[in-house]
Amino acid sequence: MMPVDYLVAQDLHKSFNEHKAVNGVSFTIHKREIFGLLGPNGAGKTTTIRMLSTVLEPDQGDVIIGGHLIRREAEEVRNLIGVCPQELALYVELGALDNLIFFGRMAGMSSQEAREQAMAHLKLVGLEERAKGKIDKFSGGMKRRVNLAVALMGHPELLFLDEPTVGIDPQSRNNIYETIEGLRDKGMTILHTTHYMEEADRLCDRVAIMDGGQVIALDTPHALKAQIGSPDQVTLEDVFLKMTGRSLRD
Amino acid sequence: MTKALQIAWLQVRIYLQDKSDLAFSLLLPVVTFALMYFVFGGLTQFHATAHIVNEDPGGVYSEAFIEQLEAFDELNIDLLSLDKADGKLERADLLMFIVIPEGFSEKLASGEPVELLFKQRGNGGQEQQIVAALVRSVANDISLELQAQGQVIAALVDTDTTISRIETTVERLFAEERENPTVAVTEDTIGSSPDPVEQFLPGIITMYVLFAIILSARTLVEERHLGTLERLLTTRLSVGELFAGKFIAGISRGFIQTVILMVLSYAVFQIFTPLSFVSSLLVALIFTCAASALGLVIASAVRTPDQASWVGVFFTMAMVMIGGTFFPIEEGSVMEIISRFSVNTYANDALGTLINEGGSLGDIGLEIGVLAGVIVVGLLLSRYLFKVMPGGR
Repeated sequence: MMPVDYLVAQDLHKSFNEHKAVNGVSFTIHKREIFGLLGPNGAGKTTTIRMLSTVLEPDQGDVIIGGHLIRREAEEVRNLIGVCPQELALYVELGALDNLIFFGRMAGMSSQEAREQAMAHLKLVGLEERAKGKIDKFSGGMKRRVNLAVALMGHPELLFLDEPTVGIDPQSRNNIYETIEGLRDKGMTILHTTHYMEEADRLCDRVAIMDGGQVIALDTPHALKAQIGSPDQVTLEDVFLKMTGRSLRD
Repeated sequence: MTKALQIAWLQVRIYLQDKSDLAFSLLLPVVTFALMYFVFGGLTQFHATAHIVNEDPGGVYSEAFIEQLEAFDELNIDLLSLDKADGKLERADLLMFIVIPEGFSEKLASGEPVELLFKQRGNGGQEQQIVAALVRSVANDISLELQAQGQVIAALVDTDTTISRIETTVERLFAEERENPTVAVTEDTIGSSPDPVEQFLPGIITMYVLFAIILSARTLVEERHLGTLERLLTTRLSVGELFAGKFIAGISRGFIQTVILMVLSYAVFQIFTPLSFVSSLLVALIFTCAASALGLVIASAVRTPDQASWVGVFFTMAMVMIGGTFFPIEEGSVMEIISRFSVNTYANDALGTLINEGGSLGDIGLEIGVLAGVIVVGLLLSRYLFKVMPGGR
């Protein structure tokens, strides 16, 4: 069966002053796929996600999500997406449950619906016991899990995960991996950026490697590894370093 | 609208969660009120001390003179020795004292002229000049009484009437005259008295409302800083709903402090009538809306919470200074023209009309119109700035 394209990005460009952050990015994400977006710092991953999630308007190019053209139907697109940003975008003075309920209400849910869904998502990320705990008392890993749970409010069809596991302990990271895999199994489409190559290798069906605001490679992890050697012998990190070089990026 | 109320409620909850912030913001108006009470409480009319050196102790006329001065409600009498009074005047601990000379009563009894001495630094200051005027009026009364007494005695010297009877009769007639003067003065007061609390209260209320500008300015920028703003912008929340929520949140926080201040003023100083209280609350609410809208303008134009605070502080201080918060602005002056560009001028004028002049809402239509205009323009401008600034929508 031919995969159905759920997201189509065509020739995206975005500049900030003279700096071209994204320079002609095109890719498609299939429905029920975990699509990895890899790249060194400053490659243009976050800018791309911000354009795809309707936060930034592209200077040029188009995005179609779930059959809706972002430029014309941004409201409809927002009904389909959930965003887990790189920073912990939470109200730290409030409890985990309150944060989820609030964003649920912003996603258009009733109070009762939001409460029920919030409890379900907190259970999913292993925090149902700490539902009423204040975010500012949580560990980094717990905050990351709440950050992910908030993105799930409203049952989005397409989830944007911008480095959801950065700086957390292995247990929390593993919980997030399992959550993401579970979401894919339930039919969710996911765009995932990460600096952890083993994470991309484990989770992603296909990955695009970005550098200098452009996609320089796009394929399955297995096929990308096969480009530089035996897939069993090389890692995705080897591929990444070969394609993006070893010079430091700040 | 539900989402806007959710956003406003969230902000209020965050405000209520921060106990120290909450205590501070609720205590500030109480402290301000306490300061007002200690500075102005019970001292709403002229009150001064007359420092007197009596070198004629036990004298009939010196005692009567002091007694008449004590009859003034506005005066406290402070009796001093000459050395002590000189020392205090030297150190500027007092600005004027009155000396009743030795033999004051004896000389008056024998019909000789006497002189009271006003010893003062410079002109004695405004307060002591008023004291001097009161002392002169008492001296004139005594002088007139003694003159009348002398003239009556001279006129009746050849009759059988005794001098003591003449003195008693003249004294009684003067006392009756003081009690029911031939030329009486009646006070016809329009509005309330120029009470310092009433004079300053409108400015203090508007100053607290202006603080809402800083709060409103910070809230949106802090959300941008935390990343929650971007997250909100990817939900089904419209920018209009976001702004409405932040607008209502700014009003809520700013208005809470104002209500505390006004309720305390009502309860303790009895400044308001029920009607003027409700009218003043309405004006304060409209002004809080204007301040919240101006806060959103700043929030949309700046990028960091610190920038928002500093710009908010600058505008607040500038408006407090040029808007007639702590001093009256002279009509027709350049300052008056400048003050018309400061939105709190209209709120101060409106509250002043309601509180000091006993006016009604019908008398402040222009001021309410200007404030309503600022709300509309502020909201539209903030929305425009949010759209055109980098990362806006």
